Amino acid sequence: MSAAKPPQPPRWADRFLEWYCRPELLEEIQGDAYELFDVRCAGKGPKTARRAFVWDVLRSFRLSTIRKITIQFSPDMYKSNFKIAWRNLAKHKMYSSIKIGGFAIGIAACLLIALFILDELNYDRHYPETGRIYRVIGEMTEGEFAGKGVDFPAPFAKALKDEFPEFEKVARINPNSLFTGGGNPIRRAESNQNTYEEGFTFADQELLDILQIPMVYGDPKHALDEPNTIVITKRKADKYFPNENPVGKTIIANNNTEKPVKIGGVIADFPPNSHLQYDFLITMKGVEFYPGEGNNWEASNYHTYVLLRPGTDLAKLEQKLMPIIVDKYLGANLSKAEVEQVKRTGRIYLQAVPDIHLHSADIHDGMSHGDIRFVWLFGAIAAFILLIAVINFINLSTARSANRAKEVGLRKTVGSTRGYLIAQFLSESLLFSAFSFLLGLLLAWVLLPYFIQLSGKSLQLPWFSWWFLPSIAASTILVGLLAGIYPAFYLSSFKPIQVLKGKLSKGSKNSGLRSALVVFQFTTSIVLIIGTLVVTRQMNFILNKKLGFEKEQVLLLQGTQTLGDKLPTLKKQLQQLPAVDAVTVSDYLPINGAKRNGTEMWDAKKEQQGNSFASQIWQIDYDYLHTMGMKIVAGRNFTEGMRSDSQGVIINQALAQKLNFTQPLGERITNGYQKLTILGVVEDFHFESMRENIEGMCLVLGNSPNMVAVKLHSDNLQKAVQDISATWKSIALSQPIRCTFLDDSFAQMYNDVKRIGRICTNFALLAIIVACLGLFALSTYLAEQRSKEIGIRKVLGASVGSILGMLLQNFLKLVLIALVIAAPLAWYLMQEWLKDFAYRYQIRWDVFVLAGVAVSLLAVLTIGFQALRSALSNPLDALRSE
Amino acid sequence: MHRIHLGEFEELVLLLVAVLHGNAYGVSVMEEIEQQTGRSVNISAVHAALRRLEEKGYLRSEWSEATTQRGGRRKRLFDITQAGRAALEQSRDTYLKLWDQIPGFAPKTNMA
Repeated sequence: MSAAKPPQPPRWADRFLEWYCRPELLEEIQGDAYELFDVRCAGKGPKTARRAFVWDVLRSFRLSTIRKITIQFSPDMYKSNFKIAWRNLAKHKMYSSIKIGGFAIGIAACLLIALFILDELNYDRHYPETGRIYRVIGEMTEGEFAGKGVDFPAPFAKALKDEFPEFEKVARINPNSLFTGGGNPIRRAESNQNTYEEGFTFADQELLDILQIPMVYGDPKHALDEPNTIVITKRKADKYFPNENPVGKTIIANNNTEKPVKIGGVIADFPPNSHLQYDFLITMKGVEFYPGEGNNWEASNYHTYVLLRPGTDLAKLEQKLMPIIVDKYLGANLSKAEVEQVKRTGRIYLQAVPDIHLHSADIHDGMSHGDIRFVWLFGAIAAFILLIAVINFINLSTARSANRAKEVGLRKTVGSTRGYLIAQFLSESLLFSAFSFLLGLLLAWVLLPYFIQLSGKSLQLPWFSWWFLPSIAASTILVGLLAGIYPAFYLSSFKPIQVLKGKLSKGSKNSGLRSALVVFQFTTSIVLIIGTLVVTRQMNFILNKKLGFEKEQVLLLQGTQTLGDKLPTLKKQLQQLPAVDAVTVSDYLPINGAKRNGTEMWDAKKEQQGNSFASQIWQIDYDYLHTMGMKIVAGRNFTEGMRSDSQGVIINQALAQKLNFTQPLGERITNGYQKLTILGVVEDFHFESMRENIEGMCLVLGNSPNMVAVKLHSDNLQKAVQDISATWKSIALSQPIRCTFLDDSFAQMYNDVKRIGRICTNFALLAIIVACLGLFALSTYLAEQRSKEIGIRKVLGASVGSILGMLLQNFLKLVLIALVIAAPLAWYLMQEWLKDFAYRYQIRWDVFVLAGVAVSLLAVLTIGFQALRSALSNPLDALRSE
Repeated sequence: MHRIHLGEFEELVLLLVAVLHGNAYGVSVMEEIEQQTGRSVNISAVHAALRRLEEKGYLRSEWSEATTQRGGRRKRLFDITQAGRAALEQSRDTYLKLWDQIPGFAPKTNMA
């Protein structure tokens, strides 16, 4: 604006006014605004005047002044839009079906994954007081016991309740199999046939108060009040007490006829999306697992749940927890230095119940949880597959722009506006999107049973939820716009004169963007493929790793404690079977779900200095090491007949190293209760998941009779199992045999790895299919476009091979670029995943080569067919029309 | 006559249109409000009131001649209709009647 001209109101505000204002009101409003602007300019200066002008314009933006938007369009226009879209769709059947098919696959994948994610996010939100329920977590940041755990001493809950008025209710549960949580044989008091059931836990009455699980029978306030009462779930009540009210009836667990338990109530089943999954809650009233436990602060076996009073300041409360507990309770057993250390590096905090399922990856609680990272991962995979499908749509639409260019030119010449053309192309993409969603929904519905198997969840398409169909409709529009917006703007931008003169180069324009999009598609596919390969290799690594024990041909018999006195007879008889190599009685086994007993171990000489190490202490018998195929690397095994061996211990190499014994044999260690003499050192064996390092291990003689392991040496396993079953039947009259193979149980520990592998495989497959579909259509189209060029080349003497090479080269280049981008990305991502495992597969170059070759081959096969057809075609056909 | 409610601000605008007599349009009404009552209002509020009054039949409007002022845009000049006058009179009468009933108060002047 030059100085000579009078000041003007801001242009954008003026335009905005012209844009929204009804034409019949515009002159009046604009005129008055201008007049005011001039007046204010003279009075208060141009700056204030401009600001006031903008304000006037904004204030005039009212319902009564804005244009009626719908006036611009008429239903006929929409009808014609969709009619033309439909004709286009029907005319180019191959391209249309690739667009729709790819879309549908992407949408189905998204839908299924969305179901999965929704389910994961909805854990533990169903309690009436969800917002106030927390689980107590203890964390140590340094030292031998660094990590997060949920186990607290028995009197901890009472201490919380006494010391902190913020806690309205505090409840303990103890699901530890050491104290007969987990699995147990049970029967009705009047029956003598046991049935094995899982899902036992000890619990306080307060747990029922906190969770407020609906009660089917019994008084929710007093169901676990008395000693020796039990609460069972509806499904178990239906199983053992069909059509009757079981409250007050008794059942016998673990053949313990001296202490039958009385049913205090029946609760509704825990829903599948609850992190607590128990069927039998035994009261903690009057239970002490050993004398003096109620006041013992040295053993931690209790998960503790709390209900906060409304309005509690969580952060403030958490700050107080550790200091007060240590000062008043825990400190009594610790030295001054230890108290200082615990206060400095330890903390007690509260985890909201809905967070438990997805945010417990680093918390040792013995439960299997979901993982928030996988929720993100799957979400990303779904989004990428959909993106790949959207890219197909964009690429095919813009590549084939030449076919629509004449239409655009003509429409513009006869007076169509760009806005109208955009609307037309958008309606076309909306139509595609609608078809794709229909097909995608169908596909998701068909694939759902398979996906349920894949994800291990019971999922349903929520057809009748109020939000489902509206959000599908909204997504249809959103995806349609996402895919259509670029082609719409691109196609509608053609200048009529150039188009009608035939100046628009066919399909070659915009190839840069198209190439970039193809590269993106293949990068995504390759990352997924590499991910699949790495997960598979890690699984193989785990399954084939030397474990320190022999997992093949070992049969595990479960629930053997019920045999009581007859157990030694069973062992003896089994040992006499020809196919049996060795038999051991011990339920401490190196697989998930077997018994565990964690403790601290000191060098007996240095006990006062407090250098303790985390260790397991397992009770085994004389045949254990032989049966499990474990190796003694120094010293000896327990020997039958040597009485002093009951005070002996066999430790593993890891513990020997930690204790820093140069000559461990004969040294003495202690857990504070008993002193043990080291008899031998066993080679380290994996007794926890490979996610963790091998910790200390002490093997002592003892009787822990829940399981019997049988080592077989037989080519005919079936026959061997039959023989063992026969032996079992002759001894255990009232109980059917339950057995599994050790290697199966071992593989089950890694089901989640396997599941991730399978999910990756499937989605990688989908991604590559959609990407190849797009590549196929694109190459077909470009080969069509170049048919004349190819004809001329052939006339001039080009060989089939050279033409083939020329056509392939372009796309292969893109795939190679994608590989270069994908390899480091995939390497990084998989490295992050592998960090979960203490023992892991080292990613090697051959993974990338394999993925690269596979994708290149796929691409060549995809493009090759069309390329070959073009290369072999008779030049006459292509050139005849010129 | 069918009674249509007259809002407080509407009544003020209607009065001022009558006062301005032939020279009433958005800006002049706005300025008049400011001068006569000290109230500061936005132009959009005046426009809205004028529009509503016209819809109710209390005002009529016509375009002025175009000038070089206002970016060449015409003014929409408002004038009060018979119905508008009647509505004002009725409103005044109502008020006077009510004032008369307040004990100890007598209207000082009679606005005929």
